[in-house]
Amino acid sequence: MNAPVTITQAEKPYLVIRSVTKRFGSFTALQDIDLDIHKGEFISFLGPSGCGKTTLLRAISGLDVQTTGSIHQDGRDISNLPVNERDFGIVFQSYALFPNLKIKDNVGYGLVSAGKSRKEIAERVSELLGMVGLADQADKYPAQLSGGQQQRISLARALALSPGLLLLDEPLSALDARVRARLRGEIRDLQRRLGITTVMVTHDQEEALTMSDRIVVMSKGRIEQIGTPDEVYGKPASPFVADFVGRMNFIEGKLVDAASADCRGAVLKLDSALTYAPGTPVTICLRPEDVVVRDTSGAANAFDVDVGVMEFMGNHFSTTLHVLGSNLNISADLSMNDVRDLGIKPGVRAKAVLPAERLRVFATAA
Amino acid sequence: MTSVTSNQLDAAAAEAARGRPVRQRMSRDDLLMRIMLVLLTLWLVGTVLLPLGALLRKSVEGPAGEFVGLANFVQYFSNPALTASIANSIWIASISTVICVLLSFAFAYGLTRTCMPGRSVFKLVSQIPLLAPSLLPAISLVYLFGNQGIAKDVLLGASIYGPIGIVIGEVFWTFPHALIIMTTALATADARLYEAAAALKASNWRTFWTVTVPGARYGLISATFVVFTLVITDFGVPKVIGGQYNVLATDIYKQVIGQQNFRMGAVVGLLLLLPAVLSFAVDQYVQRRQSAALSARAVPYEPKPDRAIDTFAFIACGLIAAAVLIVIGMAFFASLATLWPYNLTPSLKNYDFDNMDGGGWQSFYNSLKMAGMTAVVGTALVFMGAYLVEKTKGFHTGRFIFQLLALLPLAVPGIVLGLGYIFFFNAPSNPASFIYGTMAILVLCTVAHFYSVAHLTAVTALKQLDQEIETVSASLRVPFFRTFLLVTLPVCLPAVLDIAMYLFVNALTTVSAVVFLYAPETTLASIAVLNMDDAGDVAPAAAMAMTIFFAATLVRVLYILLTRSVLGRTQAWRRR
Ligand SMILES: Nc1ncnc2c1ncn2[C@@H]1O[C@H](COP(=O)(O)OP(=O)(O)OP(=O)(O)O)[C@@H](O)[C@H]1O
Ligand SMILES: [Mg+2]
Repeated sequence: MNAPVTITQAEKPYLVIRSVTKRFGSFTALQDIDLDIHKGEFISFLGPSGCGKTTLLRAISGLDVQTTGSIHQDGRDISNLPVNERDFGIVFQSYALFPNLKIKDNVGYGLVSAGKSRKEIAERVSELLGMVGLADQADKYPAQLSGGQQQRISLARALALSPGLLLLDEPLSALDARVRARLRGEIRDLQRRLGITTVMVTHDQEEALTMSDRIVVMSKGRIEQIGTPDEVYGKPASPFVADFVGRMNFIEGKLVDAASADCRGAVLKLDSALTYAPGTPVTICLRPEDVVVRDTSGAANAFDVDVGVMEFMGNHFSTTLHVLGSNLNISADLSMNDVRDLGIKPGVRAKAVLPAERLRVFATAA
Repeated sequence: MTSVTSNQLDAAAAEAARGRPVRQRMSRDDLLMRIMLVLLTLWLVGTVLLPLGALLRKSVEGPAGEFVGLANFVQYFSNPALTASIANSIWIASISTVICVLLSFAFAYGLTRTCMPGRSVFKLVSQIPLLAPSLLPAISLVYLFGNQGIAKDVLLGASIYGPIGIVIGEVFWTFPHALIIMTTALATADARLYEAAAALKASNWRTFWTVTVPGARYGLISATFVVFTLVITDFGVPKVIGGQYNVLATDIYKQVIGQQNFRMGAVVGLLLLLPAVLSFAVDQYVQRRQSAALSARAVPYEPKPDRAIDTFAFIACGLIAAAVLIVIGMAFFASLATLWPYNLTPSLKNYDFDNMDGGGWQSFYNSLKMAGMTAVVGTALVFMGAYLVEKTKGFHTGRFIFQLLALLPLAVPGIVLGLGYIFFFNAPSNPASFIYGTMAILVLCTVAHFYSVAHLTAVTALKQLDQEIETVSASLRVPFFRTFLLVTLPVCLPAVLDIAMYLFVNALTTVSAVVFLYAPETTLASIAVLNMDDAGDVAPAAAMAMTIFFAATLVRVLYILLTRSVLGRTQAWRRR
């Protein structure tokens, strides 16, 4: 017997993915994926195109099983089960509704094969249609509904058999921005209400950040970070995550000692004590909106800066700050209030703080 | 195992993770689909591959069935009377191809690139040759330019019986085939290229040669090979009007039917397989290139009215369409004449088939029955096969083999397939030999003969469906056949009807595939045309050919009306 891997969570996870690897010929699309998903969680797989999100989802669903590795769902080894012996509902970007069946027949499609009576089916269908807010569309055909409505029907159909797991492959990508924003909230509400464990694939970070309990950030077939939206955004585990999620200043520098670094002539105090030797090249990350221009007196990492061109973004200004006496330029997002109150304009001199507790430091990869 | 602790579970998981490949268990659906696909593969093996194998074997056998190596081929090539046909065939096919491709290019250009009036009528007329056996244009030519022909003098003393007649007949018969390819090639033009040419102030003439022709080059290549193959393997036209001019296809017939020399027939059959296989390979290659040529961002070309070009195109297309109508009209007129050319009073005397040799009206009913059965059986098999090969999970080798077998008939001329059937099904050792001489073997052979085009139609229709429909229904634990019957089939109904129609009309008009396989009780109308013409009853032959033509036309019209009403009712979901 091998030494058991300990699970720190009190409750045992609903979905346990261990060492899942998927190869297409000589190309490795997934490399040694380990992941636990708990009951009722909303998990997003986030990453750039081609990173393996869909591949992982297809492995979980059995549409395209992993080359090696195991997947357990609710204590059952489902690694090699065919699709129709697994327990999940799925929603695709393309909706994949049955075009020749009425909405009610689409939603009730799985119920008929499950041997439900006509009355039970009718009740369940109207319940599901009510749930997605389309009770009055039962007798239409899919082509007569809008994209957002079709996707809701597809969701209702996936939920019809009350599956233990809901899989969503870029469910909102085909919709326009407004509909997308509204459906985000609706799907999330529905998921909370039903308490159904949900995995969503997306390449839209905003979608992942607003909807998920936890986000799995992937790159090149590997997991870069697993964490809550807060953690992933605020404490990216790698420069890749920092770059992929949100906008970020990447500041190249060299460690002076364990708690400060010289960045193009400006010395930044670091909050975290680092174990690297002085002289180690580091990359320091700072979100543009974390730059502080108000109440700067006495703070560490306060610099005199020249304000560059300012771009109006609607609810804030985006600008570049040049740190005086150095070669360092920082992108900063300044709130409307700050700009107004402090009279910040292009070309003026101001004071700015790069808060030490907001800096993320990574040793620069050689 | 009643309860698992997460530690045990994880230990098991960790163990499983040690690189042991995961093999997905097959579901009942997967298993069922594979079994069905294997059965259909065996069916194709039995109706296409093994008959071809039997033909191959026959060509290397001696009179007593012993292996003689290439002796038959040596014998064939040492007989100049036989080998002359090779040159004849190539010559005829080349000339016909050049003429047919040029005409079809001009016609297609008129249809797709001009605003000439009457395009829909022209389109309709151009499809007429598809509705008759290839014997019909040949018979018609006899009446037009034969010894007692009404326009005999046009030939200035040259005889229609021979190369001239064959070429004219073949061009008529292959015209719609080439036209379909050419209109497709010309219809998929990218308007941006023409705008660029106009911006560069290129003349129309120059634009034509630098944009239009290169844009249609794959269509031209494809049409060239298709027509060449159709002509070199056609047997109907040269049989009727070839006179003493021998070609390969008629040689097979003479060797087998006339001299009962099956081995020599097999040798010629194999020779005929060569151009067909070559053409098949080229066509596959060209199709791959053509689909890549038109990018998704191309802007479709919309012709603008141009007085001079439109008038010119109208005259050119009008002449071609008139020629088609004259050929059909001549056959019809001759079939109604009481006694050509002496008594032209219209009568139905020539349609009194029951008092003539050739099988009488019964052969026409046989044809309808055979075509109906071919349409039903063929459509079912073809659509199921296409569905299984598209939707079966995994099973790559099995699917590849099936796909290959499904396309193989495209490379096998009908007369060669028919010959293979004799050898394969007439062998006493074949347990299926009881179907020899029945309606069943005619249906089997005809389905096999026209399998590929029908298969490709079905595959195209299936590919247009959302690929995730099967996934969703599997996740809802619905058996595949339920989704097939409830969703796939209804959605593909237009394509299914198209396939049935295609099989029906082709079964009605085919001669070459069935000419060796009919028995006295199963004579077909197209065979009757052949035999009556052979016996000198040319007018009744024309009458029977016209009967086939009218039947095919009627079925087509009914089909259009039917699809309009049925599809209108069952496809309500297509409307937004
Ligand atoms: N059937 C296949 N055969 C070969 N390679 C494949 C196959 N499916 C996926 N891949 C490759 O595996 C990698 C991951 O693909 P996957 O579809 O999981 O990406 P993704 O993260 O979902 O990207 P996207 O955001 O573009 O959908 C890609 O490089 C892709 O080319
Ligand atoms: Mg994807």
